[in-house]
Amino acid sequence: MTADLADTEWCPLLQETDECKADGHSEDEEATTLLQEMVEEDEEIDLYNEETFRLDMESGGEEDPADLFVFCGEFSQFEKGASKDLSKMNGEPPKPPEVQQAAGQPAPQRLPVTKSQPAPALSKVPVAPRTTGRIEMRGERRRELSKKMEFQDPAVLKSIKGKPTLESLDSAVVDSGISSTWDEMDLEAEDTAAMKVIDRTLEQRIPPTTLDFLSSPLTHQYPEVSAPKHAPQGHLSPRAFSPRYMQQVPACPMMPRSPLCPVRPYSSQTRFGQPSRYLSPSSFRPTSSNISTPTRPLTPKVLQMRFGPMSPSPGPAPFFSPPANPLQRFRFPGHVTQLHPQHRRILSQRQQRTQSSMRKQREPRSDPYANIMSAKEKAWVIRLQMIQLQSENPHLDDYYYQAYYQKLEEKLTEDELLGDRAKKEPPKLMTPYVQKAEIYEPVVHIEGSLGQVAVSTCYSPRRAIDAVHVHCQEEDLKDIGHRRLGVLNLIEKMFMTLLEVEELQKKMAVLPEEERVRFHDTLTCKVNQLFHLLKEGFQESCHELDAEFLPVLLVSKGKRLIARLLSFLPLEAALEILVAVLKHLPLLMAQDAECSYEALPVLYTPLCTVIGHLSFTQLVQVLKEFTAPLPDSTDTRLSLACHNKFAISFLYALLSHGERLLSADTPIEPGIEEFDIWTDTVFSVAKQLSHSSLVEPLLLPSNLLSLFCRYLDKQAVVQLEGTIERPGSLPVQ
Amino acid sequence: MNYMPGTASLIEDIDKKHLVLLRDGRTLIGFLRSIDQFANLVLHQTVERIHVGKKYGDIPRGIFIVRGENVVLLGEIDLEKEIDTPLQQVSIEEILEEQRVEQQAKQEAEKLKLQALKERGLSILRADTLDEY
Repeated sequence: MTADLADTEWCPLLQETDECKADGHSEDEEATTLLQEMVEEDEEIDLYNEETFRLDMESGGEEDPADLFVFCGEFSQFEKGASKDLSKMNGEPPKPPEVQQAAGQPAPQRLPVTKSQPAPALSKVPVAPRTTGRIEMRGERRRELSKKMEFQDPAVLKSIKGKPTLESLDSAVVDSGISSTWDEMDLEAEDTAAMKVIDRTLEQRIPPTTLDFLSSPLTHQYPEVSAPKHAPQGHLSPRAFSPRYMQQVPACPMMPRSPLCPVRPYSSQTRFGQPSRYLSPSSFRPTSSNISTPTRPLTPKVLQMRFGPMSPSPGPAPFFSPPANPLQRFRFPGHVTQLHPQHRRILSQRQQRTQSSMRKQREPRSDPYANIMSAKEKAWVIRLQMIQLQSENPHLDDYYYQAYYQKLEEKLTEDELLGDRAKKEPPKLMTPYVQKAEIYEPVVHIEGSLGQVAVSTCYSPRRAIDAVHVHCQEEDLKDIGHRRLGVLNLIEKMFMTLLEVEELQKKMAVLPEEERVRFHDTLTCKVNQLFHLLKEGFQESCHELDAEFLPVLLVSKGKRLIARLLSFLPLEAALEILVAVLKHLPLLMAQDAECSYEALPVLYTPLCTVIGHLSFTQLVQVLKEFTAPLPDSTDTRLSLACHNKFAISFLYALLSHGERLLSADTPIEPGIEEFDIWTDTVFSVAKQLSHSSLVEPLLLPSNLLSLFCRYLDKQAVVQLEGTIERPGSLPVQ
Repeated sequence: MNYMPGTASLIEDIDKKHLVLLRDGRTLIGFLRSIDQFANLVLHQTVERIHVGKKYGDIPRGIFIVRGENVVLLGEIDLEKEIDTPLQQVSIEEILEEQRVEQQAKQEAEKLKLQALKERGLSILRADTLDEY
């Protein structure tokens, strides 16, 4: 019956709109393209916003039905018109009476509305007087609502009656007004019933979505949407409509899919371009407003208003379901759109807390203005702040907090150790690591070109080396200067890798166990790569055989590179470097002596660590190298070492480690030969030391004298002690 | 134990009476109604309080929307302890007059100081003139 009535009302309109088709198409076209662009853009923004700050049912649950209600109310009127077509076409039963009730009968609440009150009649009901201020409105609404008069809300009424005033179109006004007081409403029954109907109708109307933003609540919520049965796809796409056509569509009872078309509520046509009879509320409103309101979210204007905390929640999602056009560009949810599980827990805990306190506070409160900020909005702010905590590299993005917290923890453990106070956990922010999906590439990307170097040099000044290196010819490379540049270039590259390795190491300290393994693999791989480069990368620049590592060692930056790399290398590799340093010791010492600045000591500490891990056999091999005569001079490394700070410290460290190994409880079984070499070395060292003037070592191991005590007579030891502990003085003869 | 990050921690303070000190030195007292991620504030039933010595006066201001960056200090006011303050409330006219006198005295002092510095061959730019450039 309702449907019949609606039908008869629509008939004249249909004719009118048919007439309208004839004129005014061209001026619409520009506006249409513009509109389409806006719609697209806004849909994207809206969807992104939705994905980022989506409030799950649990989080925004208490408000969600509010939006739902508004649209259900509006939608249901459309239903009256459309249900006829539906029941005709699909044999579906007419919609339940609850929906009609939600359609905005102001007076009798919760009574099933009889069908003798057709919806179109509503349009003749005078519009309720508007209140002026939002807060006043809300206060008034609150009072009314607490008396269980839900539907007398002026905003709701207006939107239901559908007079296309600015206020009724401003979804923000409607949404916020209702959502803030939703917790005091009690509409579950109506809502679910209405939802069912909407669901069912939508099943036939929403075109299939090929968009796979799988995590979007939209698709999760309505995975059952199926292909349209009666409509060509193009009609469903927002961009397929000219404003004129959009106006016509609702008027046509044979197009039940119209709720998904964006209808421009404020087209200049409807407002000014048409004869006034078309605009008269009695003829126009029952169709246009009732049908257009459910589609409102798709109009650009409303979309803009919906941005932010007011963004649609999954409740009314059917109306915001993915647009029909699968070609539209969507931003897929990035890493930032998901909350850390711990954060989610905190949020839901908070939700539960507030919900329970809400229940307690049902009775009228002393502060009528309280809760102007709805729980949904609060959750939105919290979410936003939590998302900001996620970082790919907290030590970079959030250094101060990380450093502060580390210090705080250290201090607390100290206090605990001293027993100053009981164990106390300081409040901590969760700062989860996230893996970025794509890597941001800054613009600075030059392959040996000089064109943009000026820009790049501020990022990495040494790129100038690259530029020179690439531009010179092969024969120029033989030139010693260029060879050096080549070495510098390689060192530069290796330093970059080394920095990455160190970064990985730092990250690993704070990562959970399972991720650490993965990081460890990358790290090992990079270290190996570095070592290979170190060993073989300099072949070109150094033609002599047996000169492994020498080019790098000759550059002070290379020394620093090796010093930093040593701690990452496996023992065999580190030993190779150690032997190389020893082998080239005379040259390195000579270089150090030439410069005013000594670069070798940077190697001391890392090399000592390596020495500490050597076995006795390895140690003896190293020492043998020390005492072996040099090819083109009468000196041994030993005699030279006495005059170099680094070399003597190095020697001491080796001897000290040998002594430690021998005096340790763990049995080492040196072969006779090895032991002989060891003894010989100790003797020759003692001899050399007692005959030279020594420089002060970087560090004097404490067990050195006890080592000599073992092999030398007392007098010799005393003499040696004198020279070792008072460096610089001439040995007592 | 964990706490809310950033301005989210302010959410617990909503609908409570707060004192807000702004960057320009004004003091506002009102009910915090809404915040956002930038700590922009909506204050309701706001009064602007002017303190001069031991006296203070309140100018009713209504609703205030404060841009977050302008907040120097924000704190909840204990409604129970609010009454037993040692300060004395006076009328708006009186406090404005007091304020005027105080500012005048301050300016005089500043002038004298500047004069003295000038005599010694020193000159410092005043803070407010610095702002303009």
